[in-house]
Amino acid sequence: MRLPRFLLVCLSATALSLMYVWQQTEVFHLAYTGQKQLVKFEELLDENSSLRYNLTRKTSLTRMGTRVAANTEFRMPDNYCLVKVPLSGKEFKAANGRLPRKETLFARMFGIKRQAEARTVNTSDAFAVRIAGDLNIR
Amino acid sequence: MYIVNYRRRAEAAFLLFCFFFFLSIARLCFIQFFRSEYLAEIAQKQHNMFIELEPRRGTVYDCNLKPLAVNLVFESVYAEPNQLSREQKERIAAQLAPLLALERSFLASRLDRDKAFVWLARKVSPEQAQQIRALKFKGIGMIKESKRCYPNDYLLSQVLGFAGLDNTGLEGLELYYDNYLKGEPGWATVLRDARSKRLDLNDTTVPAKDGYHLVLTIDEVVQYIAERELEKAYQTYHAKGASIIVIDPRTGQLLALANRPGYDLNKPGHVSKDQIRNRAICDMFEPGSVFKIVTAAAALEENKVNEMTRFFCENGEYRVANHTLHDHRPHGWLTFREVIEQSSNIGTSKVAQLLGPDKLYEYIKRFGFGAKLGIDIPGEINGSIKPPRQWSKTSIACVPMGQEVGVTALQLATALSVIANGGYLMKPYLVREVRDRQGQVIDYYPPTLVRQVLSEETAARMRKILIGVMENGTGKMGKLGQFTAGGKTGTAQKLDPNGSYSHDKYIASFMGFAPAEDPQVAIVVTVDEPHPYYFGGVVAAPVFKRVAEDVLKYLKTKEYTQQTASLK
Repeated sequence: MRLPRFLLVCLSATALSLMYVWQQTEVFHLAYTGQKQLVKFEELLDENSSLRYNLTRKTSLTRMGTRVAANTEFRMPDNYCLVKVPLSGKEFKAANGRLPRKETLFARMFGIKRQAEARTVNTSDAFAVRIAGDLNIR
Repeated sequence: MYIVNYRRRAEAAFLLFCFFFFLSIARLCFIQFFRSEYLAEIAQKQHNMFIELEPRRGTVYDCNLKPLAVNLVFESVYAEPNQLSREQKERIAAQLAPLLALERSFLASRLDRDKAFVWLARKVSPEQAQQIRALKFKGIGMIKESKRCYPNDYLLSQVLGFAGLDNTGLEGLELYYDNYLKGEPGWATVLRDARSKRLDLNDTTVPAKDGYHLVLTIDEVVQYIAERELEKAYQTYHAKGASIIVIDPRTGQLLALANRPGYDLNKPGHVSKDQIRNRAICDMFEPGSVFKIVTAAAALEENKVNEMTRFFCENGEYRVANHTLHDHRPHGWLTFREVIEQSSNIGTSKVAQLLGPDKLYEYIKRFGFGAKLGIDIPGEINGSIKPPRQWSKTSIACVPMGQEVGVTALQLATALSVIANGGYLMKPYLVREVRDRQGQVIDYYPPTLVRQVLSEETAARMRKILIGVMENGTGKMGKLGQFTAGGKTGTAQKLDPNGSYSHDKYIASFMGFAPAEDPQVAIVVTVDEPHPYYFGGVVAAPVFKRVAEDVLKYLKTKEYTQQTASLK
């Protein structure tokens, strides 16, 4: 009677010890797994910030400005390079699709005049002057 | 007989076991009671590892929260020379030298050191790190370290400054706000296994306190426009140096500050002092005619003159004490407005004589010259203004037109802002906010009023006069196409080493504000020793024109976008 009880106590103690050891190994095993995940996570975070940085760098104004300046061969002509040719009536019609309507006396008296008209000639001149300034500087 | 012998042997064995058992118990008791502390200490050292946790350095943003300086993780290569044989060292040096772009002899000398740990290369690129890892050298390892990176390379170089290898600020804002940016390191004790592998079952951890972020008043787009145009002028006129400041006159917030020559912030190793120097706040120069706005504003404020007061400009030649003043073009009678528009030296000196030296000096000081403005960046200088008791007989003629005084470009920008904003001297500043990692504002820096210099009426009258300079006077080349603007040109002779004024070294400058009816930006452009042209109206005014036009268009678009976004 005593021996079986002794054996049972021994077995229980052994089982408890094994459980404790198993628990400890599991803790360390999980710690190793967690560590690996953490390293991976940190690597991904670093990669993410590196990619973000590359994106910011590639889209930075300095870089885009340099690339545009290096790749474009277009140059706005200087004023002295421009020849203004007056258009004849036919050419004007061809260019605009229709001739300008003649303003009759009736239209002049009762017609609603346009409020504003774009003055393209002056604007383009000013623009050309500005670009010419740019070119001189280069 | 046989049984008796067996029993004796059994007893002897039992006694022997008991003896060893008690011996073991005694030994255990000895260890437990007398050696436990010593052995526990050794075990602790073997199992635990103390590591310092590096804080992340804060990011620097522009006013639209675009990053200007960030921290990235790079790998540093180290070696353990004690674990390497002679052949291994030679092989490593031979193979790593081309990969790291280092001299083979340099690597060999480092590997020959009698040490357990030596750095071979700090913060190498990811590609280099990958190649080195692929070689699988024994005794060569990598440690992750963070490195400061600047996505815009040379943009804002003298203002941002840079941080060193150990992430400590060495120049510019990186230095000035280092306490905010660097954070505080933490520490942790972690377990390690038999292979010295780290195991994060932390006993104790004091986390690192990451650095705060800085939000600047600088606008990246405005800065780019300013630098682009300054670079063109610097190249075209083969100048020795150049500076540009774009400031919001209403608040004193700097929207852009650039200098030439500049440098690449990502390669600060081989940079000269000339490139690092923030000329706009560190360099003092005689401003020349741009300084006439101070004399003019003071005379108007003191009611000594009005716009129509007439002055005889002596047909271009006027003797004061033993010094003869000249105008760049002879003038006869000019009104006060025309004196400023035509930038007459003789007319301005006569205005100053009406004002008197003491009043002129008082206004020069009130405009912020001769003292630091307190901008939040290292290196600002006072400038040099002599008190009237130290003036010579010719000073009353020279000081009003910007000679015998030393100013910085920043002082000119704030002085112009006084006229542009209605008479108030605002403290210029670069950092708007300090934020923590969660984006919470820790510190907010509002605009600071230093003092009122002029009445609003005088400032408005001065603005009209300066618009006249652009329309009818020396600043025609700075006139804007779509906006109205006011400004003043300046061409100052530099001093030769012998103390006389040079005839081939000039500082061309221009300062202006726009739009004239409600100034949003004040801009100061200075070009040091331009060639072949040297007039401020020719060299610096076009830079102002292009910058002001593009910046105003951009600001209008930005305002419209913000309004649309708020409506949504």
